[in-house]
Amino acid sequence: MRIKDKTVLKNLGSCGFGGAANTACVDVLDGKVVRIRPLHYDEDYTPEDLNEWRYEVRGHTFRPGMKTLLPPLSLAYKKRAYSPNRVPYPLKRVDWDPKGERNPQNRGVSGYERISWDEATDLIAAEIERIGREYGRRSILIQGEGHGETKVVSGAHGCSSLMLDYVGDEPGDYLIQARQPDSWEGWYWGAKHVWGMETHGQQNPQDNVIWDVSKHSDAVLFWGADPETTPWGWGGLQPSRLCYWFDEIGIKSIHIAPDVNYTNAVHADKWIPVLPNTDAALQLAIAYVWMTEGLYDKEYVATHVEGFDWFEYYVLGHEDGVPKTPAWAAEKCGVPSYRIKALARYWGRHKVSIAHCNGGGYIRSCFSHEPARLEVCLLGMQGLGNPGVHQFKFIEWVLQGVNPVPPSAIYPTLMGVYHGWRMGAPKHFIPKTMTPDAILGGYTHDNPMTWYGHVVCYMKREDQFLEFRYPEPDAHPIHMIWSDTPCWETCWNGGNAYQDAVRDPSIEFYLVQHPWMENDTLLADIILPVSTLFELKDIQADIFSGQWNKIVYEEQAIEPVGEAKGDYEAVCEIARKLERFGGEYEGLYAKFTCGRTIDEDIEYGYRTSEVPLDEYPFEKLKEQKYFAFPTKENWQDDPVGLELFAKDPAAHPLRTPSGKLEFYSIGLAEHFPDDKVRGPVPHWIEEADGHEERITSARAKDYPFLLVSNHPRWRVHAQHDDIPWLREIPTCKVAGPDGYLYEPIWVNPRDAERLGLADGDVAKLFNERGAVLGGVIVTERIMPGVLYQDHGARTDVLRYGAGGLDRGGANNLICPSATTSKNAAGEVTNGFLVGIEKVDVAALAAEYPEAFARDYDPAAGLVATARIVKED
Amino acid sequence: MAKVFAIDVAKCNGCYGCQIVCKDEHCGNDWRPYAAPQPETGQFWMRIDEKTRGQVPVVKVSYTPVLCAHCADAPCAAACPAGAYVRRDDGLLLIDPDACTGCGTCVEACPQGAVYLNADLGIAQKCTGCAHLLDNGWDVPRCVDACAHEAILWGEEADLADFLEGAEALPAVAGLGPRAFYRNLPRRFVAGAVVDLEADELLIGAPVTLRGSEGFEASQVTDEFGDFLFEQVPADVYEVVIAPEGYAERRLKADLTEIDRTLGDIPVERA
Repeated sequence: MRIKDKTVLKNLGSCGFGGAANTACVDVLDGKVVRIRPLHYDEDYTPEDLNEWRYEVRGHTFRPGMKTLLPPLSLAYKKRAYSPNRVPYPLKRVDWDPKGERNPQNRGVSGYERISWDEATDLIAAEIERIGREYGRRSILIQGEGHGETKVVSGAHGCSSLMLDYVGDEPGDYLIQARQPDSWEGWYWGAKHVWGMETHGQQNPQDNVIWDVSKHSDAVLFWGADPETTPWGWGGLQPSRLCYWFDEIGIKSIHIAPDVNYTNAVHADKWIPVLPNTDAALQLAIAYVWMTEGLYDKEYVATHVEGFDWFEYYVLGHEDGVPKTPAWAAEKCGVPSYRIKALARYWGRHKVSIAHCNGGGYIRSCFSHEPARLEVCLLGMQGLGNPGVHQFKFIEWVLQGVNPVPPSAIYPTLMGVYHGWRMGAPKHFIPKTMTPDAILGGYTHDNPMTWYGHVVCYMKREDQFLEFRYPEPDAHPIHMIWSDTPCWETCWNGGNAYQDAVRDPSIEFYLVQHPWMENDTLLADIILPVSTLFELKDIQADIFSGQWNKIVYEEQAIEPVGEAKGDYEAVCEIARKLERFGGEYEGLYAKFTCGRTIDEDIEYGYRTSEVPLDEYPFEKLKEQKYFAFPTKENWQDDPVGLELFAKDPAAHPLRTPSGKLEFYSIGLAEHFPDDKVRGPVPHWIEEADGHEERITSARAKDYPFLLVSNHPRWRVHAQHDDIPWLREIPTCKVAGPDGYLYEPIWVNPRDAERLGLADGDVAKLFNERGAVLGGVIVTERIMPGVLYQDHGARTDVLRYGAGGLDRGGANNLICPSATTSKNAAGEVTNGFLVGIEKVDVAALAAEYPEAFARDYDPAAGLVATARIVKED
Repeated sequence: MAKVFAIDVAKCNGCYGCQIVCKDEHCGNDWRPYAAPQPETGQFWMRIDEKTRGQVPVVKVSYTPVLCAHCADAPCAAACPAGAYVRRDDGLLLIDPDACTGCGTCVEACPQGAVYLNADLGIAQKCTGCAHLLDNGWDVPRCVDACAHEAILWGEEADLADFLEGAEALPAVAGLGPRAFYRNLPRRFVAGAVVDLEADELLIGAPVTLRGSEGFEASQVTDEFGDFLFEQVPADVYEVVIAPEGYAERRLKADLTEIDRTLGDIPVERA
């Protein structure tokens, strides 16, 4: 019996940006992907070959494992290639006529007709040329910075910007929607001002931290961290194995969050339920207990901290007359004062580290810079950098050099052939959080939109002191959007406002290239069908596994589905058409491709990857399909985390103005002396800068619940929502009485009883920004007064724009639009107020007959045919 | 030699990877004569039974992988009027898709619901142990290969002797000579915290005793958070006795016959 014809390797991580992970063996039979399975290193290597690292602690041993640790998202990924929601061929919105009426108001509503690649690229090239000529290319907004499939040569995100770099006198002559430090908001906008830690704002370095925690910590605080969920798309299940390791060696796991996340559910020794985004109050009360009971490292504070007296002055109540006592905090955060005291004393008397991935709800909520700064202050009070006292993360290992597990000897890079956007400082840009406002805010050269910083995640602290504006003095506003990242609606801050923005008449052309008919794709004027990575050949460097670094030669597994082309090939087609206009477009294709074929790119990429070619020849890579690289020699000798700073802060200063932990942030005091929300000393902020998201807010009368909207368990942001085998899992979707699979809403039994909600009910989460539906799960996994719905569900819009209604449960549609705070342009997408009420689905179906009658696959959900009105 | 599945529930993180790869292998793939294609959704030859236990603030989720136990005295096979059940030397029990008539008798006969009726194909289907792979170079079924935690093993009884010592079968198939064994199947827990509300303090080191109806007794003292937690106790009605020194004794009933209990923050008063 033939069980396969061939095996190809594919990296099925979901980060994008050329950062591969989750290396899988993909078996192909009769031209179809037949199975996806782990790669077994031991078929090619022994542990000795790889200089296997081990933790040998407390009589136990941790080994990295000899197979890849694939999450279900990767194991089920073939269903994405064969999804009924694939874009089958190029599509044009039926009532978008570039020579006549463009009907922007119908984006999202009107259907699509099939066109050829030739016709599509003609139309696209003509629009790019026209807009460039009439307004200048800075009227083209490039959305090319999202997560997605990880491809290198076929750069999935920002390939468009790379092509435009070759047009005109110098690169960068277009408008970039800047890649924000999303999921790190509080660290970036807050923590950096206490401890530097470029460039995320999370502890950096983290070298050997998990080893040290294993040896010295009594407990790890999981402050919203969910290693059993969030890292899945980034590196698989090594974080899960490490959680079991902590269990095995007796390290206490203490979870502090409103919800029982998937790590808490199987690993927690202790759960402290806290109301969403009230962590700052809890943290201040812990500091209060330590200060009043002498439970902190005074010697360390004296030598390592700048401005402790300011902090103490505030905490003890001298600044505002309000001591930040446990009783004060209990009212705000919902944790009884006696438990706050117990936690503070436990922490004060034991070696405690804090784990993240990337920061739980509070790191993406309003004023997130405050709890982030406070966390660093608390770690500082307990001797940060000393044995057993660290902050570490379970995700994005190696990114920006942050790596708490043993490093490999070789770090291959394929940036030489990465055809995506490079995360430098963009020349012309707007923050992604402000895209709707930029379009709808009525800004002019005399009255521009302003903000601070390039808002790109790789920028340093001082960048936050630079002011920028839109529109730029010599540029027109946005008239075209080109997206390969079509999930603004379901991933960012206020998707309903985004819908209004892209339906504005100023947006003359909206181009999306994407494999699936999902989310923002349905707002486009032209849609180009893009291949999944199974349909492409590529080369990848996996440095995220927490096992061994690898370089992987990825052959094409299957033929393109429908008329799909690779992301890079699609942009190449547009480049060819642009050449027809001559002038600055002359020779564009050759310039863009550097004259190389994709096969040549793969080889060139390998030769410039910094892998020693004599030891690892390209021919052998093609044969073996991958190389795994050994663990760095003597990795045990690398200093642990912030050990050097802890030992000698003068010799190893932090990257802050004072070189110390700035409980009083000198940079903020200098540059934003009037900012009361992100002042020099971290504070509890009740309401400010457009945010009234507290249970004590006046709005809470109408919207009495705080919503937790974590990074999803069964998706990576907006990815994977069409995989039938995930959608069958009870926490993934809830079948409504109409057979539609709704995004779950967790309701505590006490609230459910009061509200008359039961398992399987369809309910509406709402506020003044709109409403989204969900399927009720009555569960003890959420504390009373709080609701839970993962973020990132596929939109299935019943009514567009402000006050809109979504059946898919994409709760980012109703997130606050205002940024983290006035001078911090981060997103606010968690811990905001909503109301909930039961919905009569039959009545809703009667109200929106067209939407309810759309083609729908009960297993996979939305399907492409629902939007295609003319097939030829 | 006959082999067994060895499943450690304590190692299951609930990723559903085993359930997914079973579908990856069998949905839409035709492995006859071992197995006809599984329907796209709705069948779970390997399934995770998920259960949320306890109440705020002590809540746990248990995940139990359940698959055909390939029982020696399989009632499904005995019930099959067509003789479609085939026992292999490695102990796996298969349904021959060509011999099966789809009468559904075996579906009814399986006490743990591990056999499914495929209405479209008119046959009964279930776990094959990925026998088609085992006969073509694989050492273990897909679910075993995919698990990151070695929570599911498949091998010779002798090789798994350490695991099997003290392991148990799922109750529904326990008497049928099952070939799937478990460790750490969830029992019950009862949890709580002891608090002096007047002092606004949790009590550390307070003695707590749990007494069952049939002589069961266990004791512990509250930890640094004032918490107690009795885990993996049999389903029963218990009395919880809290007797911190200098405080009036508290006695509470904890009915664990159906569910786990979190008794919450239990106030005690100075004697």
